[in-house]
Amino acid sequence: MSVRLHPEVRNELIQFGIGDWNACYHCGTCTSICPLSEEGFLFPRKKIRLMQMGLKDQLESSVEPWLCYYCGDCSKTCPRDANPGELMMSLRRYLTSKYDWTGLSKKFYTSELWELGFILVFAALVVISFLVILPSMGYHFTRELTAEGGVQVNAFAPIKIVEPFDLMMAFVVASLLISNILRMYYKIIWKNSKTKVSLWVHVREFWNLIFHFAVQPKFSKCDDKRYWLSHWLLMSGYTIMFILIMVFLPWFQTEKIHPIWHPQRILGYYATIGLLFGLGVAIVGRIQRKDIKFQFSHVSDWLFIMMLTLTATTGILVHIFRITGMPMATYISYIAHMSVLVPMILIEVPFSKWSHLAYRPFAVYFTQLKKYAVPK
Amino acid sequence: MEEPRIGVYICHCGTNIAKMVDVEAVAAEVGKLPNVVLAKTYKYMCSDPGQELIIKDIRGHRLNRVIVAACSPRIHELTFRTAVEKAGINPYLFEMANIREQDSWVHTDRVEATAKAIDLVIAAIHRVRYHEPLAKRSVNVDPATLIIGGGISGMVAALEIANAGKKVYLIEKSDHLGGHVARFDLTFPHLSSAKQMIRPILQRVENHPNIDVFKKSVIKNVTGYIGNFKAVVENGVPDPLELTFGNIIAATGLKPFDPSKIEEYGYGKFPDVVTSMEFEEMLSAGKVMTRYGKEPRNIAIIHCVGSRSKKYHEYCSRTCCMVALKFVNQIRAGLPDCNIFEIYADMRAYGKGCEEFYAESTHRQIIFLMFDQQEKLPLIKEAERNDECNMLIELDEKLSGETVEIPADMVVLMVNMEAHEDVKEVVHAIGVSLCGNQFFIEKHPKLDPVATTTGGVYIVGTCQGPKDIPDSVAQARAAAARILATIAQGSVAVEVTTASVNEAMCCGCQTCIRVCPYSAVSYNEEKKSSEVNEVLCKGCGTCGSACPSGAISTKHFTDRQILAEIEGIMSMSYKEI
Repeated sequence: MSVRLHPEVRNELIQFGIGDWNACYHCGTCTSICPLSEEGFLFPRKKIRLMQMGLKDQLESSVEPWLCYYCGDCSKTCPRDANPGELMMSLRRYLTSKYDWTGLSKKFYTSELWELGFILVFAALVVISFLVILPSMGYHFTRELTAEGGVQVNAFAPIKIVEPFDLMMAFVVASLLISNILRMYYKIIWKNSKTKVSLWVHVREFWNLIFHFAVQPKFSKCDDKRYWLSHWLLMSGYTIMFILIMVFLPWFQTEKIHPIWHPQRILGYYATIGLLFGLGVAIVGRIQRKDIKFQFSHVSDWLFIMMLTLTATTGILVHIFRITGMPMATYISYIAHMSVLVPMILIEVPFSKWSHLAYRPFAVYFTQLKKYAVPK
Repeated sequence: MEEPRIGVYICHCGTNIAKMVDVEAVAAEVGKLPNVVLAKTYKYMCSDPGQELIIKDIRGHRLNRVIVAACSPRIHELTFRTAVEKAGINPYLFEMANIREQDSWVHTDRVEATAKAIDLVIAAIHRVRYHEPLAKRSVNVDPATLIIGGGISGMVAALEIANAGKKVYLIEKSDHLGGHVARFDLTFPHLSSAKQMIRPILQRVENHPNIDVFKKSVIKNVTGYIGNFKAVVENGVPDPLELTFGNIIAATGLKPFDPSKIEEYGYGKFPDVVTSMEFEEMLSAGKVMTRYGKEPRNIAIIHCVGSRSKKYHEYCSRTCCMVALKFVNQIRAGLPDCNIFEIYADMRAYGKGCEEFYAESTHRQIIFLMFDQQEKLPLIKEAERNDECNMLIELDEKLSGETVEIPADMVVLMVNMEAHEDVKEVVHAIGVSLCGNQFFIEKHPKLDPVATTTGGVYIVGTCQGPKDIPDSVAQARAAAARILATIAQGSVAVEVTTASVNEAMCCGCQTCIRVCPYSAVSYNEEKKSSEVNEVLCKGCGTCGSACPSGAISTKHFTDRQILAEIEGIMSMSYKEI
């Protein structure tokens, strides 16, 4: 069976990042240096070939780009400066847009106007909610402090109203993300007409998903282990914070000032430190551009970092102002915090860079499934 | 004959010889032989002090024969012949023993290699005793030159010679000059216009007072030898013109491969499968269109058509890869949205500026697809209506390992450069040999690439092998320089080690005439014996060995000399057997 070339795919691909895959002449240096290399694993060369040839279906069913953590060895050793590492990064953006059925992902990746526009609209909605809608419902700023001397957060952002919205957002985001993962599964496993995977294999290999999500051993295959550490701190901090906010908000957003050893504060502090450390490494790296993985920054890379940094810093401010009893400062930083957090979650989680948090472990899982696939 | 006084010199050749051959032992052994006046060794005999040593000894010891045991005579025979001549000895009284290529380089046992060296030197000593002085001979050179072929090579050579004030007869079989280059649009790698380049050359050739251009003409009945050729120009007129000239340049050029032989490509079946020459003409006319007058949206270029394949031609045509890149640059400039597929076997960017040209062209949004022509050729098929293209090319793409289908509205076949069929007639006329691929063979592939084994006959351009314009022009100018040098000298030295016929012994069987590769032997009806034209004779010895009555001998290779050499080589080795 021969597959038709689709030269027009190039025009689409080219919007997802920097790179000149025409420069590649397939010497295979990238594949031989790639820590992921195994026998018969032609990564990243084969993917570049698919991009060059415009083999749409093969590209969309690719799982390997998600196993790559961009150590940059391929780009460093490429004799033609084709930048395979960055091409794989672009390919991950392309794949993200292909898993997404709404078409928004592609819009956000390829148009800054769309992405910034959406962010600003959501931010404006948040600000309006706090300054107009909530006050009209009788929730106002109050200078009165709690008995402990903390700020009355619930007076202005009542948990009984914030939480339903929060859960609604979580539901929307989760539905989008899960549907995208299902589409990913369809493209990578289901659509393959030649092989099938038994249900038992699905169950047996499921631990891979959890394990790789929690430990990220694929990343630790890259030579420089420091990035694995900083990324892991960032990821674990983010995940803890995400769960605390999206699932346990009433437990997390309290007026009561817990003692320092309380799990709420310890988890919060850990998450904050992890986030700031990981972000610091990424920001310094992307400014210095010394390391190959940080040399090319797409708008989506910077936006994600900036939004996450803003969310983290405003969150810290809310916490400090709340326990030190500074009501106005607390409210303002709370509004700022929410006006960054909400668009970040709504845009980044299902449609943009954040989604790799889900796609990467699933890719490992799907790779295992592929390994045990049998001919139909 | 005076008593031979032989000087023997054994060369160390640095360590090349001395490492495997005990040169001192050789000198000591051969020094004992009769007629050997002295036997010496030296680090490098070919060096100036080495040659000086021989010259001094000849004078000091009144030597009249010299032997150097060193490398192959191919390399330094001329060096030493010149040296002994300087000291007043006829150069043919010198003999060389090859103890490097035939001994030290090919053996691993020092004792045996030394014994072999002794044998080889003794053989030379036996032989040189029978050497006779031979006189140098030369013939006058007619200053006119015949050039066959009016392409870029022929024209450039013609101008070079004509500008030096010498007559040129330029024979072109078609009705116009310029050859294939005149049909090109742009040239690689600088994308400059071929027409602008060739037009002034054409005009200069046509109007040059020293160049006689014969169009629609062929050359017949070439006879003679270096410096003195004769031929007839046939161009349809009842009274053919006879020309005399001293040198010949063959610039007969190439013929594009006929791709209809390759079934897979459907050339002739699909109207939009065209050859590179046909595409070149489309570009020249400024119109790249399918047969139905539509602008093609997908153009595929297939490389190596007829090249590098056991079935067609095994050699590489050398220029097609770059011509294909030139095409993609031109297509991209004219049809910015066209999909261009380069279906190649290997990208060969040979030549100055060509790798850069390739690297630059890779950024023109070209889809490069590799195939393995030893395994399977791309297959061109008619497309279905819903394919939205004229043709589909099925291809086992090597770099991806996928079998793919390429949409194409037009396919350009980069056809191989073949030797011209007409070349065979020319070959017969001028006596130049052809290689397996029907291209002319040069005298030496590296050191003498424009001369042939026939004196006064030169080969330039693509008749010698596929090449680009710069190489063709370089060859043309090189041949012109070689010819002008002989014209300037007025005469040219010819081979003296020729065959000669003992008329009394000749039985008139004419075997020699049949076997001579240089047409140098003829039959004298009056004397009833064969005759050797000493100018044409190369001294190859074929006639001598074929002669049933032993009437022919070759100077410097007489039976006596060869038998003496054999006696010499046998005189020592028996003790081992």
